[in-house]
Amino acid sequence: MIKNTPTICSFCSNGCGMFIRSDGKEAVGCLPMTLHPVSEGRLCHRGWNRFQNLRSLNRLSLPLIREGSNLKEAAWPEALQKTTEKISELLSRYGPQSIGVIGSPWLTNEDNYRIAQFSLDILGTSHLDGSYRFSGASALTALDRLFSGPFGSLATIPAIAQSPTILVIGKESCRDFSPVGSRLIKAFLHGSTLVLADPSCTRKEHFFKYLLPHPLQSLAAVFKDKESLPPEVSTRLSEPGLALVFLTDQVGSAASLLSLLHSLSPRSATENHLPLVLPLSRAPNLKGAWDMGIRPPEGGLTLHEMLGEESEVKALLIFGDDLLNHLVTSSMLVKFRNLEFVSVADRFFTDTARMAHCVLPIPLLAETEGTMTNSEGRVQKLRPFVDPQGESRSVAHILQDLSQRMGKDFPVLSEPEVRVEISKNIFPYTAVASESDLENVGGILLPTQNAQLPCEPSEAEEQGPEGYRLLVPNTLYAWNRNQMIHESPVLNIEYPGDRPAVRMSPLDAKELKIRMGEKVKIRSDRGEAQVPVEVDENIPSKVLMLSSHFVEVVESLAGKGERDVTTRTLFFPNLAVTVERL
Amino acid sequence: MEQVVLQKSNLNHWVELMHRGFQVVAPSRVQGEIFFLPHAGQLESDLLCGIATLPYLPPKDIVFPQSETLFSFTRGAGDIDFSVPDRPPEKRVLLGIRSCDTVGLNWLDHFYLSNFHDFYYQNRRDPLTLISIACTQPMKNCFCICCEGGPFLHPETTAFDIQLVDLEDRYLVECNSEKGKALVDLNRNLFSQPDPSMVEARDQAETKSHTRFLQEPTSYMSAAIRRITSNSVPPEVWTELGERCFDDGGCTFVCPCCSCFGVGYTAKGETGCHYRFWDSCDYSGFTREVSGHNPRAEKGERFKRRFFHKLSYHYVKKDGRIGCVGCGRCITACPGEVGMPAVVERLRRG
Repeated sequence: MIKNTPTICSFCSNGCGMFIRSDGKEAVGCLPMTLHPVSEGRLCHRGWNRFQNLRSLNRLSLPLIREGSNLKEAAWPEALQKTTEKISELLSRYGPQSIGVIGSPWLTNEDNYRIAQFSLDILGTSHLDGSYRFSGASALTALDRLFSGPFGSLATIPAIAQSPTILVIGKESCRDFSPVGSRLIKAFLHGSTLVLADPSCTRKEHFFKYLLPHPLQSLAAVFKDKESLPPEVSTRLSEPGLALVFLTDQVGSAASLLSLLHSLSPRSATENHLPLVLPLSRAPNLKGAWDMGIRPPEGGLTLHEMLGEESEVKALLIFGDDLLNHLVTSSMLVKFRNLEFVSVADRFFTDTARMAHCVLPIPLLAETEGTMTNSEGRVQKLRPFVDPQGESRSVAHILQDLSQRMGKDFPVLSEPEVRVEISKNIFPYTAVASESDLENVGGILLPTQNAQLPCEPSEAEEQGPEGYRLLVPNTLYAWNRNQMIHESPVLNIEYPGDRPAVRMSPLDAKELKIRMGEKVKIRSDRGEAQVPVEVDENIPSKVLMLSSHFVEVVESLAGKGERDVTTRTLFFPNLAVTVERL
Repeated sequence: MEQVVLQKSNLNHWVELMHRGFQVVAPSRVQGEIFFLPHAGQLESDLLCGIATLPYLPPKDIVFPQSETLFSFTRGAGDIDFSVPDRPPEKRVLLGIRSCDTVGLNWLDHFYLSNFHDFYYQNRRDPLTLISIACTQPMKNCFCICCEGGPFLHPETTAFDIQLVDLEDRYLVECNSEKGKALVDLNRNLFSQPDPSMVEARDQAETKSHTRFLQEPTSYMSAAIRRITSNSVPPEVWTELGERCFDDGGCTFVCPCCSCFGVGYTAKGETGCHYRFWDSCDYSGFTREVSGHNPRAEKGERFKRRFFHKLSYHYVKKDGRIGCVGCGRCITACPGEVGMPAVVERLRRG
C-alpha cells in the first residue's frame, strides 16, 4: 500500500511542500501540495524527481577508517573510538582551537544547533563555520547587519506576486526557483514591472520589461547615476512595494548588498521603505544553519581563515557537506590535504569523504526528522519517509557518543526538545517550540525585527573601457555539482557536468577567428591563463564567463581574489581582461 | 447498456460486498489533499457526488506508477536469478474516477495495449474495474467539455465499466461491461429498476451539466488544432510560450494522457534491478543525444513538440482523439501559467 508522507523538498531554499509516496520499502513517487503556501501544487523538475536519488549506489552504509592510503570498513565503536582518540590527542597537544567544526545547510536546524553546541561546549573551539562562507554568507552577514541580528522573514514568496515592481538579479533567480518564477509570472500577468539585472545574457524573456546589463555589485552605483537608466526604471525602483529577488551565492561582498539596499530604500520623513527582500540559495537550509550558529563566534575563524596557510587549525570535523567541492582556492585544498585529521559525517562517498581519516554514515534528509528554514524565514517540518539504510546513525547519536567517549556530558534531547532550546536561545525562533503550529501546512513564519538604515553605497567596481569583462559567477553550489543531483538518473541527465572553458559570444569568437574548443590566452592585471573557448549565443559581446569552480584557472587570472572584511571571506570580482588567439 | 438505481444510503453496503473479491480504491483526503487510496472505514461522500473533485495525482498512477521495478536480479553461486514483479494479487475496483480520467485511461490503454503490448501495464490494468462518476458541477479548472473528456461518458466513445449519475439521494448505475455487471450482480437486491422519470432526470442532469461546464468557455481547441496541424503558428509564439515554461515536467506528470517513461538501473554487490519512471518531454535531457547534440535544445521547440503531440491532427488520426481530456491539472501544475487552455487561447490569437 502506498503511503503519502507530507514533507518539504530539500533541494533548494524554497521549502516547497510535497507528499513523498512510498511503498513501505522505498520512495516511489512524489506530488506537490496544492494547499502549501510556497508550492501551491507546483514544483521544479528537481522537486518532481525528489524521490529518485534514494536508490543511489553511492550511499555510505558503514563507517570507514583510514589505513595508509586506503579507507576500510569498520564497526561503529572502532570508528568513534578512533575519532575520539584523535580529537583528544589534538586537544592535549594543541588545545581546542586546533579543531575546526563544519556544519551544513544540508542538515536540519536541530542538527546544526547540536553541532554548534558540541563545538562550543564539548570541544571548546570557536572555529565553527559552513561551506556557505563562500556561497551566501556575505548576503546573510549584510542582512544580519541591517537588522542587528537574525532577520526572520523579509518577504514571503506569495507576497512577491503583489509587488508593483520586481528587481530580479540574475536570470537563474527566476529560472532555477520555479515557485519564485511562478510569482514573477503572476505579477507580470497582473501588470507589474519586472526588471532583470544580468550582465551575462543577451536576451531577456518577454515578461521582463527591462534588462540591465550589470552585476549585483555595480547596481548601487548604476542606480545612483539615474541618467544611465530608462526613466521608468528609476521611478519604479524608488516606489514603495518594490521586491528584490537575488541568489545569495552571487553577493560577492556584504557591502555590495548593503549598498544596493541603500539605493533601493527611498526615505521619507516618517519611514524608510525597505524593499521586500528574497535571498535565494541552492542549499536547502542556508538560513537555518546560519541562524543556528554555524558561523564563528567572537574569536573564531571563518572557513576561509581555518584553511589559511598560517591557520592554527589541525583538524576538521565536517558534518553533512562535501566541503572540498565548495572550496574557492587551490591553496585551501593544499591546506585541507595537510590537515592532521579530518572526519566526515555524510550520506555519500563524496570527494571529501575519500580524503578523510574517518567517515561516518548519517541518514539522508529523507530519513531524518527535524526542521529547516527556507529563504522566506519559514520553519517547516521535514518528515522521514523511508527507513535509514545500512548502519547510518543520526548526527545527534554521533555527537552524544563522541562526547561520552571524551568523558563529557552532551544532553540527549529529542527533536522537539532541541526546538524548545532553540526557541529560548535564538530570538526569531521563539514560536518553534509549538509543535501544533509546526504541524500546519506551511509551518511557522519567523517574525522580523525593525531594520536599521542601510549604509552608504560603496564605489562601483572599476571597468576597463576597452577590452573584455571577465565575469566569474559563483558556481560552487551549482546544481551539476550537487551530490543529490548526481544520484538521480533523470536529474543527472538534466544537469550535465561542464568542462573548464571560458564562454564567449559568437560575435567575439568570429572577430577573434576562434572556434569552439580552441584555446585563447586571457590576461588580466593579476595574471594570465590559457583556456578553451565555448561559444555561447546567450553571452553578450565583450563579456567572458568563467565558472568559479574551475579554481585553478580562476586563480591564474584573478590572483587570490578579494577579501570581504565584513564576512571575512574571499570573492572574485569581475575583471577587465584582454583576449588573444593562440 | 443496463441501467439500475442505487440508493446512496446503500453505497457503503455495496462497497462492503466488493471487499470480498476486490481491493476498493476510492478518493480520500490526506492533509486536505485528495488521493486515490485503498478504502478503509467510511467513504468520503462529498468526493463521490456530482461535483468534479479530482485527486491531483491522476489515476494513471495506478496502472502506470510514477516508478516501478521492471525486473530484479541476483547472482547466486551459479546462474543469475531474474525476477519480475508479480501481477497485483487482488482484483481492484477504482471507485469515484471522473469522466476525464476514465477517458485518460482509455488513451493509455490505446498507447500501451494497442500500439504495442506492455506487460507491466497490462498486469495492472486487467484486474481493474472502473466505477466512474459523471460530473454535474465543474471545478474552476475543468474544461473537459472542450476535449470530449466529459462531463458524462458515453459507451460509443469511451470504455468504462460503470458510470454513476448523481441524482440527489440516488445514483443511476450504468453498466457498460461484463466487469461492471459483475459488481451489480454481487447483490441485485440493492438495486432497483429505473422508472422512466429517472432516465429523463438523468438526461436532464446531463443537459444541465453541459450548460454549467460551458458557462465559461475556457478553450478554443478547434482553432488550436487547425493552427498546429497546418503549421501556421509563428515560431515566435512558441518561443514566447517556451519562455514561460520552467522545464519542471509537472504538466506531463499530472496529465492523465502523458505516457513517457525513462529506465534506470541500480545494482550493488550481487543484486540489482531495472526500473522505469515517469519522464517528460519538457526536459532537455529527454531528447539530448549521446553525442551531446539536442534536436530540441530550445524550450520553445520542446513546448511545440509537446503540443504538437497533444493537438495535431496527425496524432488525432493515429490515436483517435486529442491527447488532452480537459481535467485542468496542468493549470494547477504550471508555474508559468501556460496550461492547456492558456496555450490554446494564445495559439488561437496567432
